[in-house]
Amino acid sequence: MNFIKTYWWKLLGILLLIYAVIFGLGVPLKHGIMEVSPLNAKAGEQFTLSIQGYNSHYSDLPSYAYLKLDSVHYLKSAFCSPTHQNIMRASFLIPTYLPSADSVVDATLIVDNRKDGYAILPRAISISQDSFQVERGQELWSSSNGLEDVTIDQSFKFPFRNILHETVRNTFYHVSLWFAMFILLIVSLYYAVGYLRKPSAELDRKAYAYTAVAIFYGILGLISGSIWAKYTWGTFWTADVKLNMTAVAMLIYFAYLVLRSSIPDMDRRAKLSSVYSIFAFFALIALVFVIPRLTDSLHPGNGGNPALGGEDLDNTLRLVFYPAIIGFTLLGAWIAQLKFRVSRIEENDAFNER
Amino acid sequence: MKNQFSIILLLLFATSLNAQGVSQDFLRSTGKIYSVIAVLVLIIIGLAWYLIRLDSRIQKLEKTHKNG
Repeated sequence: MNFIKTYWWKLLGILLLIYAVIFGLGVPLKHGIMEVSPLNAKAGEQFTLSIQGYNSHYSDLPSYAYLKLDSVHYLKSAFCSPTHQNIMRASFLIPTYLPSADSVVDATLIVDNRKDGYAILPRAISISQDSFQVERGQELWSSSNGLEDVTIDQSFKFPFRNILHETVRNTFYHVSLWFAMFILLIVSLYYAVGYLRKPSAELDRKAYAYTAVAIFYGILGLISGSIWAKYTWGTFWTADVKLNMTAVAMLIYFAYLVLRSSIPDMDRRAKLSSVYSIFAFFALIALVFVIPRLTDSLHPGNGGNPALGGEDLDNTLRLVFYPAIIGFTLLGAWIAQLKFRVSRIEENDAFNER
Repeated sequence: MKNQFSIILLLLFATSLNAQGVSQDFLRSTGKIYSVIAVLVLIIIGLAWYLIRLDSRIQKLEKTHKNG
């Protein structure tokens, strides 16, 4: 009974992390388009596009490709011939005129079949035209039908995102680390405020332990984000506003560690670091949640409306993402608890020696 | 302890630095799944390093309590 009382939340944290690793890595991605070639087409010519798909079954059943210019103007492929489960060639008879007065128009590619569901590659190719007849172009491009009944894959799979591909799974390991860090910092803030209301060595120890683990999570978050950025944005670090502001916030928290280690007197250290950690927390909120919204960022959900809505995080991702946050938080709380239990013994020993 | 950690970090970065400049390298193969593995490995190594540090603090305590 005592065992369950002591360990239930610690074991729950581990179980949730095991779940996040197994399902986070095991659930397949939906059908997607990796790349196409060539990238340029000319109006009025036959155009053969080589399409490389992902998690697709092109050889098993007939697939259809569409070039979409906008919500009403699209063109169905004349025929599609698969050479491999993931590779096929789609031929289009591109009309002489485009429904636009621009000489170059970007087209979105949609590939659909009954088994895999549809996949989209925005701005896949650009189509150029020499002469313009907008009204004739509108007629030519709206004639083809069939785009309304594309297949939607209803099975439990993670969404295929362009550029991200399989790294969409890093949502569970990189993003959830940051969320766990915030929860740990809120717990630490609770103890810091508690200390200022009614000072006790125990509250200070707890506030410090939670902050230290949160900072450690922050470092892991920065390095893991850096790895992720390398394979999606192409660089370990870029002058993105969210990255730089997070780095500033981490420096503010490093200063917290320096501050603590520089004050030998326990009461003064506890009081100062409690006040400082409250300041640091609100600086973090401003730097990471407010400033990136004011400008544009590579991170989703910045530069305008909040994140984690609609397209960024769909329901299948949520089923692993939220448990991962709870798992990392409980694991962090466990480590923090070990930390303050050890420092409690250390400080009692130091007190007894005196 | 610090040296061990920096060696691990160096190794990690060495592999990824090596991968630069090539369009189809190991970490980018099969939909870049190995960059997810790299992140997971980093987290596990990081946690292990943190626990080892805590462990050494406890070892110190055990020694003093044995003598006292």
